Amino acid sequence: MPAILSTRPWLRRSAFAVAALAALAAGLYFGGGMSGDGDARGRDAGALFGVALPDTAGREQSLGQWKGKVLVVNFWATWCTPCREEMPEFVKLQAELGGRGLQFVGIAIDQADKVQAFAAELGLNYPALIGGNGAIELSKTMGNRLGALPFTIIVDRAGRVVHTQLGRLPEAQLMSIVGQLL
Amino acid sequence: MDSLPISAGSPAKPRRPEPARRVRVLWLAALASSFAASGPAVAQGQPKLLEPERAFAFSVQALDDRTVEARFAIADGYYLYREKLKLSILPPALAGPPALPPGKLKDDEFFGRVETYRDRLAVRIALDKADPGRKVTVRAESQGCADVGVCYPPQVQTITLALPAPGAPPGAPVEAAPARKSWFN
Repeated sequence: MPAILSTRPWLRRSAFAVAALAALAAGLYFGGGMSGDGDARGRDAGALFGVALPDTAGREQSLGQWKGKVLVVNFWATWCTPCREEMPEFVKLQAELGGRGLQFVGIAIDQADKVQAFAAELGLNYPALIGGNGAIELSKTMGNRLGALPFTIIVDRAGRVVHTQLGRLPEAQLMSIVGQLL
Repeated sequence: MDSLPISAGSPAKPRRPEPARRVRVLWLAALASSFAASGPAVAQGQPKLLEPERAFAFSVQALDDRTVEARFAIADGYYLYREKLKLSILPPALAGPPALPPGKLKDDEFFGRVETYRDRLAVRIALDKADPGRKVTVRAESQGCADVGVCYPPQVQTITLALPAPGAPPGAPVEAAPARKSWFN
């Protein structure tokens, strides 16, 4: 086979095209479960930085103000148990690594009073912004195809999305990603 | 095939795989490893999930000229919160608040004991008066989660259907969202 391919370039080219198509099809097939389910990696987070949402005190906060930090944007809600379960880890890491440039920002698909109450209960040490359905749409543009929660986006200092996660982001995994970016 | 006894004519010569077979074996190994590689990539925090309208398939059937039955077919591995389920009729025409059946008790770390629905749920809704032929809209507000650890935002689904004539057989069930046909879902 290799001898034939090397002596007939057109055959080699078409074999290459077939292989490429097969790889593409395989990628589409096996990647089907992931398509949209959080695959915004490598994408520029510009859309995210252009967003401004009110915090629990009603002050408008632009996500752009955290550009240059290692940013972890977490979409959550008080009615979402898996979201609440992972947030104490975020609080801990914000306290430990905030000084090295790690910044968590929560975007709650929720009402301000409920967010405020939970933030107080948890001792939330990073901003909690209030997003409505528009925030769900924002998460969809970042790869959260179904708009489900929790959904987390990790952005590096250069403003590139390096990881998106639907469902809980285990601390070890979060640390292995963030550790390389700090 | 490989385990067949070696023919008596060549007792000292161990049988070796022919090149063609070796290539085939390599192919299979490569294929298997690509499958293995694709597995964890999909499982890694990106669970394969259903769209909410498919995880919680809503339908309504008109039973008679003053009763409709709202149903949820809940996919395996998904659940709805009883407390978050709100059924209503538009324009308002409820005889009384719909009686939601008891759910399955779930101990939630934050919300305490909550009731959840799994598998199937059917709720009869009585209208304030018989109104054959009239079109009514059944509105369902629901919120649910998947066992893999994600929750869907509250969703509102509506179904409009006509009430049957008195004594007529129940109407056909009306689905909120037709199942999407796709290779990937």
